[in-house]
Amino acid sequence: MTDPVRLPLDLPDDQLPRVLGEALAGLYTGEPRLPARAGGRTAGLAALHAWTGEGYAGRNFLGGNVSRLSMYLRHGMLGLREVAAHARAVMRGRGRDEFLRQLTWAEFYRLVLRQEGARVLGNLEDPKYPARWTDTLPDDVRGARTGLPCADAWVTHLVRDGWLHNHERLWFAAYLVHWRGVDWRAGYALFREHLLDGDIANNALSWQWVASTFSNKPYFMNQENIDRYSGGRWCRTCRAACPFRASYGELETQLFGTQP
Amino acid sequence: MTAAQARRVVWVHGDSLSVTDPALSACPDAPALFVFDRPFLQVVPVAFPRLAFMYQGVRDLAAHRTGPTEIRVGAVPDELAAFAGAHHAAELHVTRNFTPDFARIVEGLRAARPDLRIVIHEPERLTSFDGPLRRFFGFWKKVEREVLHGEPAPDFPRRGHR
Repeated sequence: MTDPVRLPLDLPDDQLPRVLGEALAGLYTGEPRLPARAGGRTAGLAALHAWTGEGYAGRNFLGGNVSRLSMYLRHGMLGLREVAAHARAVMRGRGRDEFLRQLTWAEFYRLVLRQEGARVLGNLEDPKYPARWTDTLPDDVRGARTGLPCADAWVTHLVRDGWLHNHERLWFAAYLVHWRGVDWRAGYALFREHLLDGDIANNALSWQWVASTFSNKPYFMNQENIDRYSGGRWCRTCRAACPFRASYGELETQLFGTQP
Repeated sequence: MTAAQARRVVWVHGDSLSVTDPALSACPDAPALFVFDRPFLQVVPVAFPRLAFMYQGVRDLAAHRTGPTEIRVGAVPDELAAFAGAHHAAELHVTRNFTPDFARIVEGLRAARPDLRIVIHEPERLTSFDGPLRRFFGFWKKVEREVLHGEPAPDFPRRGHR
């Protein structure tokens, strides 16, 4: 057993990657660098107070105004109650109700974890289609070299920012599980490695929701959906053979062998 | 500082990185410890920015509390046991989380220090719902009023759906 290491607690950010990197040598992946958003309650409160929820109704668009508070909630730097109270105070109408409903997913997943324990790391239910999944994350996915500009961008954003818009998370999960036939746990592990908000409850249960082992049907998308909610970010210049370019009915038959 | 407080320590884990954490709030003057879990990190890949984010969280709470805060790298139950011993603590306070790792660490600590009283504080909840769960939609129907308005419905049913 290695001797315990004590770390100073007054490291300024400019020394943090070097000193923490040396203290944690062998215990992390990638290069030692600061997170894209600063951690801590002070930073979390600043982010909370700066967020008005203006335009939250467009939250499903990648350019929509989402709070990006999840990493602070995940680590207890902010509490669900104070974030809800802030939303009730500064937001109005349907945007407020929708934000509070989204916040409630975090509580729901925590309570499912309390109820199920380590079982959330395995299929809670059988998948709702004849799935045959492989266990391993393909190298081209991990390396953002699939040849699909959108899918490569999702992995690149994940690794660079430690955060993904919820729609990017869903698209990537559906691509990996349904199109590539990979067990959701390989995607869960990749997200856990990189997401600043990655925790067991939200992460495992969201993957299971897409995979249909914790939902009534698998989540999937088509090219039109990606194009619309990304504002054409990838599709307008894309020359790849798009595996998502079909109607929902056609894709459902192709992926799951059924028609609605 | 009272004698009782002098004999307490607090375990700060990755779900409680705030000065408002219930265990920290209950023991504002007690020494607190956060541990980067070496055996866990040796087998579970975690990118550096995630660990730096957590360090920043501990640094921030240390700057905002009156009691001393420490951060170490090692096996969590061993470090907690050593920390409690060094401070002659009779009690270790912590806020519960629902991960399997939490239960494993508490068991390890109980085995290492059967004399140490472990006081587990409940984490903050958004709702008061305590029934069984299956789908979000059913849960939302039960808690909608409480979440939207910040107070439980007068006839709030404390039972599950389905």
